Amino acid sequence: MVDRKEIEHLGDLVKVDLQDPEKYILQVDQILNYFERLDKVEHDSDKTLRKEISYDDLREDKYEKFQSDGKPLIDYLKKDQNNFVRAPQMI
Amino acid sequence: MKLGISATEYLSLVRSGEISVEEFVAKTIDRIQAVENKVHAYITIDSENALNKAKLIDKKIRAKEKTGMLLGMPVSIKDNICTARLRTTCASGLLENFVAPYDATVVSRLKQQDSIIIGKANLDEFAMGSTTEFSHFGPSKNPWNPEYVPGGSSGGSGVSVSSLECMVSLGSDTGGSVRSPASFCSVVGLKPTYGLVSRYGLVSYANSIEQVGPIARKVEDIALVMNVIAGHDPHDDTTVKKTNEDYVAGIDTGIKGKKIGLVQQMTGDGVDKEILAATNKAVSKLQDLGAECMPVSLGAVEHSVAAYYTIASAEASSNLARYDNLRYGFDFGTEGYEFKAYVSKVRSNFGPEVTRRMLLGAFVLSAGYYGKYYLKAQKVRTMMKSQIDEAFKKVDLLVAPTMPILPFKLGEKIDDPLKLYLLDINTITANLTGIPAISIPIEISSAGLPIGIQLFANSFQEKSLLQAAYSLQQTVNLPEVPL
Repeated sequence: MVDRKEIEHLGDLVKVDLQDPEKYILQVDQILNYFERLDKVEHDSDKTLRKEISYDDLREDKYEKFQSDGKPLIDYLKKDQNNFVRAPQMI
Repeated sequence: MKLGISATEYLSLVRSGEISVEEFVAKTIDRIQAVENKVHAYITIDSENALNKAKLIDKKIRAKEKTGMLLGMPVSIKDNICTARLRTTCASGLLENFVAPYDATVVSRLKQQDSIIIGKANLDEFAMGSTTEFSHFGPSKNPWNPEYVPGGSSGGSGVSVSSLECMVSLGSDTGGSVRSPASFCSVVGLKPTYGLVSRYGLVSYANSIEQVGPIARKVEDIALVMNVIAGHDPHDDTTVKKTNEDYVAGIDTGIKGKKIGLVQQMTGDGVDKEILAATNKAVSKLQDLGAECMPVSLGAVEHSVAAYYTIASAEASSNLARYDNLRYGFDFGTEGYEFKAYVSKVRSNFGPEVTRRMLLGAFVLSAGYYGKYYLKAQKVRTMMKSQIDEAFKKVDLLVAPTMPILPFKLGEKIDDPLKLYLLDINTITANLTGIPAISIPIEISSAGLPIGIQLFANSFQEKSLLQAAYSLQQTVNLPEVPL
């Protein structure tokens, strides 16, 4: 059973200020109970799907100057007049 | 001039000079203005640019200059696919005014062929939902009965095509999001093989399962759009390097001698009786066309919903971590907030379904639960792939109803997320295993609501899938949308 404390902890992990945690308790619990059936599946193999891509198949990792409509990428960011992206204080 | 013509008819009328691009686009805009308040297919409409582009293409045609193969065809784009200059909101309050600095590859390929982007179509927020009710901008409504849901998450795309507000649309299909609205709105929707169509510029939700797919009124229009958008893209390393196929050529080849398997687990007790009857009728038609039909069992389907929502939620919670309102987002001052409090505050603007999936994703990936949920889900996915591989050793195609129930009333299931998740049982197999699947309209129910049927093929067998869908389409004669 998922409780309020656990939902608030999950909210903290995904960085969402949950306005009404109660709303999610029952729904998340019901869905997780449904997911429990995965535990009972009998598998004939422990393998999981995996696609390996050779390094040579990856595009070349080179610098490309970004221009769109003659505007540099920085113009698309939310920023202040000094071209800094403004963030809240970290500590 | 009728708006409800196929893309092929449109191209021939424009080429012969019987209609101009401007005339057709203007009439489409008139139609949008007339019906949009009833169905709400669009988040953003770009009428002025569409008309200007139409005039330019007409000028090129008159001057006998080289034009793109789509000749000004009006197209809507699901609003989680990036378009330069036209906002891409993902139907989220967080991205309400976000304008991408570039076009998604699928959009630039359509533009290169002179199609006209007439607007951005509504969706469930970040493509998470099956009804389009989880849009920050309000729900889209089913053109067959506006009190009913149009399916989702590409509901706006399905509605815009069905209501004749564009000719074709691009949606994205993570768990059936192209096929569900196609089925509920009586149009055609294709989820291509994973890796056939570029995802560059598609806002990420669940990268390992989602694909961009076209919605149109006719199978041949889907083939035409696939000829334009499919193929390797250096910007998306998950696209496969292979020779591009011509999906239009030979679309009328037929299905004589093809073996088609009816998936038992998708036609069980939970399926609406009218849908089951329509499916059986479609199977008989396939047999009449020369196909050999037989039952096929895919045991892993019964675990697919749990596996799908575990994997999709895990990927969603990781992808959505980037929305911190610093690089892009809405205006909300930073003064007085410590970093984490600020991010948490702005992220509380996510809608309820997105928040639920992030919570679920964080839970199934957390220490102590990873092995119990996420790893098990990946094993079920592997099991499904191996069962699909086995099935395609015996048959060429699979068939099943697209949706297990008929469209339902707006608001009817919105408070029961598990019930909504279970609606995806017939569509998510194609996403978890990467194979292509197409939904085509097959019947209208006694209550006047559309019923769709779904055909699946093995990976990269879109050509034979479209041929089969085209054959079946030729046996169906449905009424026009009553809007």
